[in-house]
Amino acid sequence: MRGQTLRRSLFIIPAVALIFAFAVYPALDTLWMSLWTPAGEFDPVANYSEVLGERHIINRRGFEAGRFPFGALPHTFIWIGIHLPLTTFLGLLLAVLLQRVRGSGIIKSIIFLGMVIPMVVGGLVIRFMFDGDLGVVNQLFGALGMQTRTWTAHPNSALLALIFGAVWLWTGFSLVLYSSGLATIPKDFYEAARIDGANAVQIFFKITFPLLKPITVVVVVMTVIWDLKMFDLVYAATMGGPGGSSNILAFQMWRYAFQQFNFNHAAVVAVLLFVITVFVAIPLVRRAR
Amino acid sequence: MFKRIGLLLAVTLAVGAFGTSVAADVTLTVAHPWTGDERDLFIPVLEAAEEALGITIGETVLRTEDLVTILPTQWAAGTAPADVIFITDTALLREGARGGHVANVSPLVDAEDYVAGTVEALTVDGEVYGAPFTQKPKPGFFYRHSFFEEHGLTPPEALEEFEALLDELMEIEGLTAPIASGDEVGWPLTDVTEHYIIAHAGAEVHRAVTECTATDEDWEAFEGVFTDVLVPHLEAGYFSEPIEWTTALERWWGGDFGIYFQGIFILGMVDDPDDVGVFTIPGADGVISSVDYLFVNQYSPNLDVAQELFQWLVTEGQVEQVQHGGHIGTYEPATDVELYPPAEREIADAIAPLTPLLDMDDTIGGVFQSTFWDELKLLWVAPDRVDEVLENVREAWEQECNN
Repeated sequence: MRGQTLRRSLFIIPAVALIFAFAVYPALDTLWMSLWTPAGEFDPVANYSEVLGERHIINRRGFEAGRFPFGALPHTFIWIGIHLPLTTFLGLLLAVLLQRVRGSGIIKSIIFLGMVIPMVVGGLVIRFMFDGDLGVVNQLFGALGMQTRTWTAHPNSALLALIFGAVWLWTGFSLVLYSSGLATIPKDFYEAARIDGANAVQIFFKITFPLLKPITVVVVVMTVIWDLKMFDLVYAATMGGPGGSSNILAFQMWRYAFQQFNFNHAAVVAVLLFVITVFVAIPLVRRAR
Repeated sequence: MFKRIGLLLAVTLAVGAFGTSVAADVTLTVAHPWTGDERDLFIPVLEAAEEALGITIGETVLRTEDLVTILPTQWAAGTAPADVIFITDTALLREGARGGHVANVSPLVDAEDYVAGTVEALTVDGEVYGAPFTQKPKPGFFYRHSFFEEHGLTPPEALEEFEALLDELMEIEGLTAPIASGDEVGWPLTDVTEHYIIAHAGAEVHRAVTECTATDEDWEAFEGVFTDVLVPHLEAGYFSEPIEWTTALERWWGGDFGIYFQGIFILGMVDDPDDVGVFTIPGADGVISSVDYLFVNQYSPNLDVAQELFQWLVTEGQVEQVQHGGHIGTYEPATDVELYPPAEREIADAIAPLTPLLDMDDTIGGVFQSTFWDELKLLWVAPDRVDEVLENVREAWEQECNN
């Protein structure tokens, strides 16, 4: 018995070794690096306060003036605050609406296309979508008599343009998950509810939405993680500009590491991202249980 | 048995001979930044190099903004993406030289054969670690002769005539804006801004900022260009919104914009270079050039051959390149204007009396470059935030120059 257990354990050693080498060790090393200043001194307080005091992370002047840029940290929260509910709600709405539509498979596939294109391509597409003269968004705005301009070129709209573009790219994910979840709800529940006189809205809020709670947790956690590690879309679309107005934490982390070669500051941002992820994910998972 | 030994011996000799002949066919990789039309102008140079040196050359496209990320990490691993690499960031090249990642080419390069200052930018502790390939002057505002003739316009010869021209362009129906503003990572905006600095503050102020020797008086002159000239021009609507620069080129060619500040390389990207003219802002006493530098990867498995290719490219390669258009030589024999196509010849003659200056953000590099690029994108759409822009640019300049 012990021999059998030992033999079985041997099979997981390679996987454990890889996880340790490529996940655990780099994470611990990053945390350790974040405790040292670029000058080589062990001073966690100084290193973290220096990063949090930089205008690229939190721009006090932006808050005083009430205009972008506010800094990568506030921008990241704005991104999550807008992108997460929009994507989750849209995905759920589309899944419910397309439940009994003929040809819904094709429609879902088209919506899901945004998920399968590389984010760099997505960023370039977004840049052209919001272009002042060539962009499809401005064609629509112009037809409705609204102001047209290159939305990614202006500080007060660059981040929002990227967020709405990201909604287009990520909605397919929540749509597919919710569609799968809806298929698992027994039809008997709906029949019983209708017999009891429930209308569509009551059925949705009393039956559908509660039973989709585990799916919602997955969608929310995965979307937050995706939002927090967003880099390539910003890189391709705006490079964090203009004037840092669309800068977000992951992009700033890249700037520290690969433009300034300041790995200590980059490590601080990485730790911040980790902390935010943990604070969001753990309560959600607990509530789902 | 003897048959088997004989067969084994024959096979071994054949493999050895084959291996030897494969080793003699050296293949080198050149990393360069050009795509599309610009690449089409460079490929004949590589083909000529293959013929001259009897080697095979592969190519990979890597722009300087890619190399800034790739090189330091690959150098740390004792490798590099190609045998011979083009780069515009001299600060990064010097850093690589100090780290032992770039081959010393002092015996191959004589600074006196090249435009003044270009080889000096690649020198560390008296040793030379690269050489300039061709340069691409950014001589001024390009216009189409046919467009100007159609609308009765003439290139300005005085500063007042320049502003009058901009006003005339504003009145033309159907024109989106007098001046096309190119965009990408930000260099088209810094190029036109540097031209404004040269024209209104002088070549010496530009040089002082570029060489990190600017005094407070120089900065006052530098900032005055923004507050007194550039911002009023932006607020007057003379400049378009920043547009992806090749799209802006197409639209300028199609008549959406009157003039476009760019580098000489666009002559290789338009349908009819003979229809293209260029003028500087009257009073400009200098001209910036973006120089493409070349260096040899110290970790190249064919270091000797790579150095041969390097030497060929920075000498005969330049002579070959300038004949295809879009480039001006830095190597003395390649500066003979008789080698240039007519459009390049006209520009080379026009900029000959001007002080040659190095591109400011390319030369300083680092945080200054990315900040200068990004802040100008902000200034272009929000000129009222000029104070904030200037403060951020100055801060980045001090940070980079004090490093």
